[in-house]
Amino acid sequence: MEQSQAILTGTPMPFCPGCGHAPSVISISKALIELGYAPNDVVMVSDIGCAGLVDPLFNTHTIHGLHGRAAGIAFGVTHGLNDPSKKVMVILGDGGATIGLQHILESARRNANMTLLVLNNLIYGMTGGQVSGLSTNEFKDDRHITDQTPPFDVVRLAHEAGAAYSARVTSHKNFVEIIRTAFTTPGFSLVEISSLCQPYGAAKMSELTAWTEEEEVYTNKRSELPPPLIETHSLISDKNVIVPRFEAKIGKRYGIILAGSAGGGIQAAGKLLANTGLISGLEATMKGEYPITIGTGFSVAEVILSRDAINYTGLVHPDLAIILTNDGLEKIKDKLSPDTKIIADSKLQLEGYSNVVYLEFGKIGGKKGAVFSALTYWMIKEKLIDKEALKGAAGNHKYSESLLNTMAKMEEHILAEAN
Amino acid sequence: MIITESLVRSGADVFIGYPITPSNLFYSYGQKRFPSFYAAADEISVLQWMSGFSTTGKLPVTATAFPGLALMVESLNMAFMMELPMVLVIVQRMGPSTGSATTGAQGDLALLNGIISGGFNIPVFCPSNFEDGWELAHKCVKTAVEFRTPVVLLTSKEMVMTNKSFDLSLLSEITRVDRSTKAYSGEYKPYLMTEDLVPPFVPVGDKTRQVRINSSTHDMMGAIKKANPESLGNTIRLRDKFEKRIDELVEYAIDTEDGADQLIVSWGISVDAARDAVIEYRKKGKKVALLTVKTLLPVAQEIIEIMESYKELIFVEENISGQLKEIIFGKRNYKNIKQVNKIGSMIAPDEILKELA
Repeated sequence: MEQSQAILTGTPMPFCPGCGHAPSVISISKALIELGYAPNDVVMVSDIGCAGLVDPLFNTHTIHGLHGRAAGIAFGVTHGLNDPSKKVMVILGDGGATIGLQHILESARRNANMTLLVLNNLIYGMTGGQVSGLSTNEFKDDRHITDQTPPFDVVRLAHEAGAAYSARVTSHKNFVEIIRTAFTTPGFSLVEISSLCQPYGAAKMSELTAWTEEEEVYTNKRSELPPPLIETHSLISDKNVIVPRFEAKIGKRYGIILAGSAGGGIQAAGKLLANTGLISGLEATMKGEYPITIGTGFSVAEVILSRDAINYTGLVHPDLAIILTNDGLEKIKDKLSPDTKIIADSKLQLEGYSNVVYLEFGKIGGKKGAVFSALTYWMIKEKLIDKEALKGAAGNHKYSESLLNTMAKMEEHILAEAN
Repeated sequence: MIITESLVRSGADVFIGYPITPSNLFYSYGQKRFPSFYAAADEISVLQWMSGFSTTGKLPVTATAFPGLALMVESLNMAFMMELPMVLVIVQRMGPSTGSATTGAQGDLALLNGIISGGFNIPVFCPSNFEDGWELAHKCVKTAVEFRTPVVLLTSKEMVMTNKSFDLSLLSEITRVDRSTKAYSGEYKPYLMTEDLVPPFVPVGDKTRQVRINSSTHDMMGAIKKANPESLGNTIRLRDKFEKRIDELVEYAIDTEDGADQLIVSWGISVDAARDAVIEYRKKGKKVALLTVKTLLPVAQEIIEIMESYKELIFVEENISGQLKEIIFGKRNYKNIKQVNKIGSMIAPDEILKELA
């Protein structure tokens, strides 16, 4: 007992007389001492409730957090320490084990190096003896509680989730040995310790034995996973830098909307157009909008090009709208103004707009290339951006070959039209 | 990308994520860039794991949006009370509830203002452009460490998901924030009352010093003590450490000119529209000033004094009520305070110009 002073402070037990938590605490400290742990080798994380009163008893590092979350915080502690010579242990009650079940299962699944000690007295003691998810039907029968839902078996749950070691212990004579085995098992271990509660639960050992599940022990073969430490590299490098090498005739802010359908290369075209602006010495912004689901519905890209720095990135009325499908048209038609230049696929009909050029972009460029053929058309006709700049930007693109082919087809088409 | 890089260069070393739109770019950049990355099972676990890492001397980061933040509230209070350094990037989207996941907003400031039970603030920094993102991400790490506290970097969907050309040479050099324990005299106490109001930090697991971390009302040793003078003093210190050292926290930018009577006050994504509105208004020969608030919480007296030195204020915020206006001036309407508010899309420069005229 004198030895245990090293782990325990000697502060009087804060529990009710005859509380089962006192022998549990003494057994935990005995197991630690037998294994040679010094107080500073141990981090004790306590939960809320009667089981959470233990902090002042322990001479170790202590952490006292929220109800049910002790296993969560301990997960971070053990991975942060990453030191097998330290013992991270959690003391919680049956209430904490059920409100925080996810943290227990997750820690077991990941085989976090820690020991959970669930002091199960069958009830919420601090709040007046309400039943918990670990209250057994035998206990509830005795209290004439009509709810006959069977309790969780937290020992088996931890086992199924992958705990290296999980056990229930009800007999005092087995406490130290079972706790010690849990402490010496590398990885995740859980021990459910049956506990008396004088005011609300089992007041005698005979009651406790009658009302709790049988003792049981489970093991899983787990190899300890070291926390992933990754060597990483800067996200920002000279590779991201684009050096202007073309000229553009765009001065003040020029807003472009590309509107089509999913799978039509709209987002890739938006990025390419913004990059085309950059290599033409302009400032650029680009944002995409599409439904959360992939591969269906509209796809819209907004690009702003400007000689000056761009602040506001919204596009109230675009200067140019390239519209390729009905999905796209429906999405953006409210943004079109009489001043918007509109380039649309010839299968579309835009009622009430005079400033529209129709061409069979889908036929010329194909499903994915339609937007590029339309952009090529615009560049050749308007000459605000050098089409060679688009080729330059496309040169680094993973589909650069098909992009260049699409552009060539459009150039041929325009030549043929002119002739 | 800029924020993630700045956080890591400043010394943030663990990213713990739970995916939620529109914060997912942080998740993917976090996975690429942080030395340690963990995918948690839910946002409560995120904050608990972060807290655990933080007790051991790591500097954890996460990113989320309102629904995730809502789940984190109790744990955030815990980390605040325990005085654990960490950074939360909040990417605002339109609410209430699940709202519109891919629509931007500036609707979470009021929640952040009241998020700590009892009238305390956690520092909330808010970038108005990419350069701010770089500087303030560093400021977040520095503040988290130097004030031993969770810190929020408040962004929005349009801020982090819009691509924008940017001159890398504008980014200053970022140095790693020093994590060594400050000097203290006498026995180590995890919540020692010091002159600078921030106790020296020693990680749990220390060989020689016992560390007690506590979320309940506690004394300087970290032991639960119900409202005795020492533990109450400790709790009051959690407000004082920010209020009395606000000069170290306050960040803003003021663009003014002689004779300007009107001051636009804005933060975050709406500042871009305000900048354009200022340019247009000045082209017309009118005088106007723009105050960009970057330290939103706690509110610094210095910022209020700037506001009070103008005849008319125009608060520009992408939310329904004007949350910064209400934090500073309450719900009362004043003749000389105008508001430009909107939800569903960004406020446009023209909408600000209308109020200016």
